[in-house]
Amino acid sequence: MTMTDEIKEVTLEEIKKEVSSAQQEKIKSSERLQLIVFKLAGEEYALSIDDIKEVVITPGIAKIPQTPNYIKGVANIRGSIIAIMDMEERLNLIKEGKEAAGSYTLVIASEQYKLGILVKEVPNTLTTYASEIDTASNIMQFSALEKECIKGVATVDDRLIILVDIFKLIEIENLNKITTI
Amino acid sequence: MSREEEYKEMFYAEAFEHHEELDTLFTALEKKPEDRMVIDTIFRVTHTLKGNAMGLGFVEIAELGHVMEDIFSEVKSGKIELTKDLFTNLFKACDKMGELIEALKTGKRVSYKGIRTKLNVYLKTVTGNTEEYTAQAPTIAPPTENTVLLETTDNKPNGETSLQEKVETKALETEENSEDEIEEKPENSLASKIAFSDQVQVPVKKLDDLLNLVGELIIEKDTLVAKSIERGSRRGGEYSRLHRITSDLQYGVMDVRLVQIGFMFNKFHRIIRDVATIEQKKVNLKLEGTENEIDRNILKIMSDSLVHLVRNSVSHGIELPEERVAKGKPEEGTITLSAFNEKDTVLIKVSDDGNGINHDAILAKAIEKGIVSTAFAKQMSKDDILMLIFEPGFSNADKITEVSGRGVGMDVVKRATESIGGKISVSTEIGKGTTVSLSLPSSMAVKGALLFEMANQEFAIPLSYTEAVISLKKKDIHKINRGLMAKYLDKTISIVFINDLFKLDRIHQISENGHLHKSFNNIKDKEHKMDVLIVSYNDKYVGFVVDKLLQQKEIVEKTLASPLDNVELFSGATILGNGNVCMVMDIATILRNLFKENTNI
Repeated sequence: MTMTDEIKEVTLEEIKKEVSSAQQEKIKSSERLQLIVFKLAGEEYALSIDDIKEVVITPGIAKIPQTPNYIKGVANIRGSIIAIMDMEERLNLIKEGKEAAGSYTLVIASEQYKLGILVKEVPNTLTTYASEIDTASNIMQFSALEKECIKGVATVDDRLIILVDIFKLIEIENLNKITTI
Repeated sequence: MSREEEYKEMFYAEAFEHHEELDTLFTALEKKPEDRMVIDTIFRVTHTLKGNAMGLGFVEIAELGHVMEDIFSEVKSGKIELTKDLFTNLFKACDKMGELIEALKTGKRVSYKGIRTKLNVYLKTVTGNTEEYTAQAPTIAPPTENTVLLETTDNKPNGETSLQEKVETKALETEENSEDEIEEKPENSLASKIAFSDQVQVPVKKLDDLLNLVGELIIEKDTLVAKSIERGSRRGGEYSRLHRITSDLQYGVMDVRLVQIGFMFNKFHRIIRDVATIEQKKVNLKLEGTENEIDRNILKIMSDSLVHLVRNSVSHGIELPEERVAKGKPEEGTITLSAFNEKDTVLIKVSDDGNGINHDAILAKAIEKGIVSTAFAKQMSKDDILMLIFEPGFSNADKITEVSGRGVGMDVVKRATESIGGKISVSTEIGKGTTVSLSLPSSMAVKGALLFEMANQEFAIPLSYTEAVISLKKKDIHKINRGLMAKYLDKTISIVFINDLFKLDRIHQISENGHLHKSFNNIKDKEHKMDVLIVSYNDKYVGFVVDKLLQQKEIVEKTLASPLDNVELFSGATILGNGNVCMVMDIATILRNLFKENTNI
């Protein structure tokens, strides 16, 4: 068992520093968005930096019986007990390649929810502008889940980055629980 | 400290603040005499101060406060003009007030009548009659809440007003306006000393955070000790000092969070009066053991339930006065709220000398509502029948009245009790009355738990539910219908493999055919020994078969936050010394589900 104090962490400060140096290059004053970008099933997804409290190496996860598959269990992150969610399973994405458990956890910044998201690689940061984001209206949406939880798509150079509304995702999850269980 | 002393101490702290507030307000008003907000605030503060003082019998403070209140009542209505002369006297009155408050501590005699008379002269010029004002005193007496609870109406964080703890420390509060005061009152040589209260008010949130931190400290300490044992040190002996300090700290913080039950019990005078008036009954409230202490958060969780129980007693328990007289009982019914400490638990009892609960009526109702089947009903013991009132959907009230039937049923009371690891029971005697007993933990922070291992992961069961730990061979366990059973002492108990329970998608599937036999069927060796942990809940016993039993341990249980807040199997989780998260099983919910299915078959 790895002890918490031995975990090397990417602190939010470092990420924010990186972001702010990137910001200085652009002086445009349109609404600036800072994103944390991570890969799920080969595609790039992003959350707003304000939604994320910290990024840690995933600690040991205790499984919880009788919970949906995408809830991997709970972990001890700095003395807080945090539910760990697999976004690929949550969004019903087909997993690419081998089943490598997420090695990093993005801890969601919220008073109400205690949730972490598994990602495989160290997430990147990206600064973009509101004008660069396509709202999701042109994207095919087959389920309420997609409709509610995808805020839009950011185009940066030739990359397409899907913006996720993590809080909607959690809320829908709670709804599901009530209706299906 | 006796209750009176504690009240006095609280009054002192609050009066002290009020006095300082008044000082500041008067100063502000002198600069800007037309400021209505300040005038209103002064009126309110003097009113509260007077009310509190009157409630506790501090006549001098009450009288002086009363005159000041009256002056400001007239200032409010514009009948008295705020002249310089009046201000001089008001400041003097304020200083006297400070001295009077101080005298509560020192016991010094303070002459305040002179300034009171002076102020009365001002009133007289407006109304022409001083006596009228003093005579009015009782009618302006504030509502009971003020006198009983000693609450200030201002500056408290939302929702936490009612049971704010007072922390006793030698405080060094900074006084914002101290310089002002000294400048403004050069003629008052008496008042230029800055005084400090011996009590500090702390928002509960801060205490919660502190307790969380202490919880984490304990976990860290356990981690250290565990590591040192791993390294071959002799049982972590070098940490004994750390152990002692953390444990002292933990109990210190827990102690700060304790409040006297009396603070809450005292509110019931009013609640009972109101309910009794609506129901046209005569009810007297008796309080016992009010000096016992309990964690403030537990009281908060239980307060709605207690209100419900007391309302129930008035509206269903106590009979109408005529009925009581006809039965030879005193016209006035009595409800007793009592509390006493028993080791780590506090027992709260709500008793009435009313009509008692009729078992047959309950049973009939339960059958009518489909809570039990007619066949099963015949086998039920009297105690079992009584417990039916705690079933969801059961409400014995024939009519929904203003008082009862607000959607809070007895099942909610029971659930609230169990959510904090407490137990509830009822005893009743027809014609004599009913007693509901709540056995509550006195502190929520730390509880004993028994750890066990399943699939290489640790789980915990609170000690309040565990009965015994035994070892059974496969041949000792027998299939019965859909479940399993074994003999324990001279009882027959149900046996459940935890593994089967965990494999369910949801808890209601428990009754599905054969599910509870799965693990049992997989064991081939008849002599195979299994660790069985026997738990009890409502006198129902179940043996849980676990992979391996681990040690008994003090745990700090944390409730699960959203999105895991409605997981049924577990009430919370804790972090163990090795840093692992350990889920704490919700025995009440699990057993309720196991046996609910049984009663319906």
